Amino acid sequence: MKSIRIALGAMVLGAGMAQAQDTTLTFMSWDPDQLEVEKEAIAAFEAANPGVTVEATAMPPKDYWPRLSALAASGDLPDVFMMSSGFVKEWAAAGNLKDLSGVVSDDQLAGYYEGAASVGVINDQRVAFPQNWVAPVLYYNIDMFEAAGVETPQPDWTWDDFLNAAKALTIDEDGDGDAETYGMSLYGRYAHIEPWVFRNGGRYLNADETALELNDEAVNALQFLTDLVNVHGVAPQPQEMEGVRQQDIMPLGMAAMWVDGSWNIANTRSIVGDDFRWGIAQVPLGPDATPDNAAAYAWADMLSVGAGSDNPDLAWAFIQHMVGEGRQASDFLGGKVPAYIDIATSEAWLETDQMPTNKGLLLDIGAQNVYTGFSKNWSGWRGYDSTGSSGMNGELDEVLNGRKSLDDAIEALVIYGNDILSR
Amino acid sequence: MRSNRKIRITALLFLAPTIIGLLVFRLIPIGWSFALSFYDWKIFDTPQFVGLGNYAHIFTSPTAHKVFLNSAYFSAIYVPGSIALALVLAVLLNNGLRSSAFFRGAFFLPYITSTVAVTLAWRWIFSTKFGLLNNALDWVGVDNPPAWLADPMWALPAVALVSIWKDVGFYMILLLAGLQTIDPTLYEAARVDGAKPVQRFFKITVPMLSRSLFFVLILALVRSTQTFEITYALTNGGPNRASTTLAFYVYQNAFVEFEMGYAAALSYIMCFILGLLTLTNFYFRKRWVHED
Repeated sequence: MKSIRIALGAMVLGAGMAQAQDTTLTFMSWDPDQLEVEKEAIAAFEAANPGVTVEATAMPPKDYWPRLSALAASGDLPDVFMMSSGFVKEWAAAGNLKDLSGVVSDDQLAGYYEGAASVGVINDQRVAFPQNWVAPVLYYNIDMFEAAGVETPQPDWTWDDFLNAAKALTIDEDGDGDAETYGMSLYGRYAHIEPWVFRNGGRYLNADETALELNDEAVNALQFLTDLVNVHGVAPQPQEMEGVRQQDIMPLGMAAMWVDGSWNIANTRSIVGDDFRWGIAQVPLGPDATPDNAAAYAWADMLSVGAGSDNPDLAWAFIQHMVGEGRQASDFLGGKVPAYIDIATSEAWLETDQMPTNKGLLLDIGAQNVYTGFSKNWSGWRGYDSTGSSGMNGELDEVLNGRKSLDDAIEALVIYGNDILSR
Repeated sequence: MRSNRKIRITALLFLAPTIIGLLVFRLIPIGWSFALSFYDWKIFDTPQFVGLGNYAHIFTSPTAHKVFLNSAYFSAIYVPGSIALALVLAVLLNNGLRSSAFFRGAFFLPYITSTVAVTLAWRWIFSTKFGLLNNALDWVGVDNPPAWLADPMWALPAVALVSIWKDVGFYMILLLAGLQTIDPTLYEAARVDGAKPVQRFFKITVPMLSRSLFFVLILALVRSTQTFEITYALTNGGPNRASTTLAFYVYQNAFVEFEMGYAAALSYIMCFILGLLTLTNFYFRKRWVHED
């Protein structure tokens, strides 16, 4: 009898192993470079789960979203896939993301940055879990500041302090009216503009995010920024720099300051090398800011489980592995901040031995009141990626290029944006 | 009787791969996309029937109007520009331009070169401050040359210029083939009668080449509505939609905004306009195309 039981047990175990051997978990990412780095972590997951194979694919965002959308339309979503803060609301509303509320415990959540983790909760359902987050910061060239005898950006800087520094750092050596180096570099794109607007208490959208209704704080911030080019001449017109990648202007020494996403830390390191010293600071608080309305601008890159996944438990186990202890600080390139606090606060991630030496500033930003400003059809009205020349981006560049007044640009933007939001 | 049936079945079997391919990859998607144009379908969401809503929105949308005007402007530069230049090059090569084999290859080269690669090179050429073009203009004394790709006035002509440069070699080869079929005795007779080169060109070359010119005209017209890669790599449709043409707008709606129904409606409007223009050309064909 005992031998029969053993034989039956062996058969069940064998069947289970056979089933496990057949289990393939599909994973899709929008970052091919990151996936190369993640291969080790994926292999570790496979080793810890015998019989499980993770089929991972990655493609750049411009290919990723059409492919993922097509897979959603055909009901073949991967088990696990990357989800952006910008699109999570629409994807959740369409019912494509599995609700993980029941499987994520408060203890687990305590290990992650709250601001980053909260982005994945839509209508009280946890539909995405953060892997890392990013935030725009003020990049500055320390050598240029010292040469001009100007104090580097301080935490209590006002916008006037910033403007005075930008003026002092705008240098026209030959006196021909064209500055050789500018105090600031500025375009109309979201990562350049929103940090100022949100740090001034500005909002573009109405309360339920269905229409563009720029508040006074937002308009004042936009006025300040466009004046940097059109009134003070401390930043070049975008059209003047056409042909140079915007993210290369400050690293090439053409401007002393520039606000953009922390993901540019890697590119800045690569271009600057040892040519000059540089650092990062938070964008100064605006004159209209109050403790209630001022917000830091940051957002998370997340992982979601497809609503129709055949292996939801395994998928969640994979997510836990990929966002937490299964990772190393070196997996997070440049300014991508791990959502898992233990890794983000480790010396290995802070990299105080290389520039910027104050990368820990990003952790301070993550601890603040964070606002993303994303809405349905955000990429359309804001002007992002392949629509980057239109929408708010296009209108603001028109103002920065001196071809439109800010009032006219806002009027055009509201009509255009509300048309997109109404679809 | 039996053998006839066998022949028909055999023929059908031979045709089947082509017919099935045509149905699966062309005709069914074409029909499906027409049906789709009556839906509001964000591809990852459930489609909603909206009737003529997409078409109504397109006809009232200022953005769509701007895109249609841009498309017409682009065609107005590209079609005559590319045909005229191709004709000049073809005539020069046909008249025994020195090293014509080399020039034939050189003029054709852009057509077979990677569009994105050459467009990036053009982007450097057009760069406002550091570009070859503006530095050359500065060298000859032009003050404040334009920001070619960042100025709404110049961005679309710049896209058209690069498109002409890219395609002119192809049209030139087609016209050159046409020129080489013209009987040389016609030119000899005209010369004997005292016709000057310009007269020979307009009275002999153009009429005798009219069939090739008509073919090139239709091709250029179709291609002018399909410009995508050069726009994508050179201006991304900007600044502020100044160089967004219809094909690029369809792409943005379908694969950036994922508004598949709206993009399908735009495609069918483009198809209708193109069909109308082609029919118009065929109608006027008999007035200027010389038939043997």
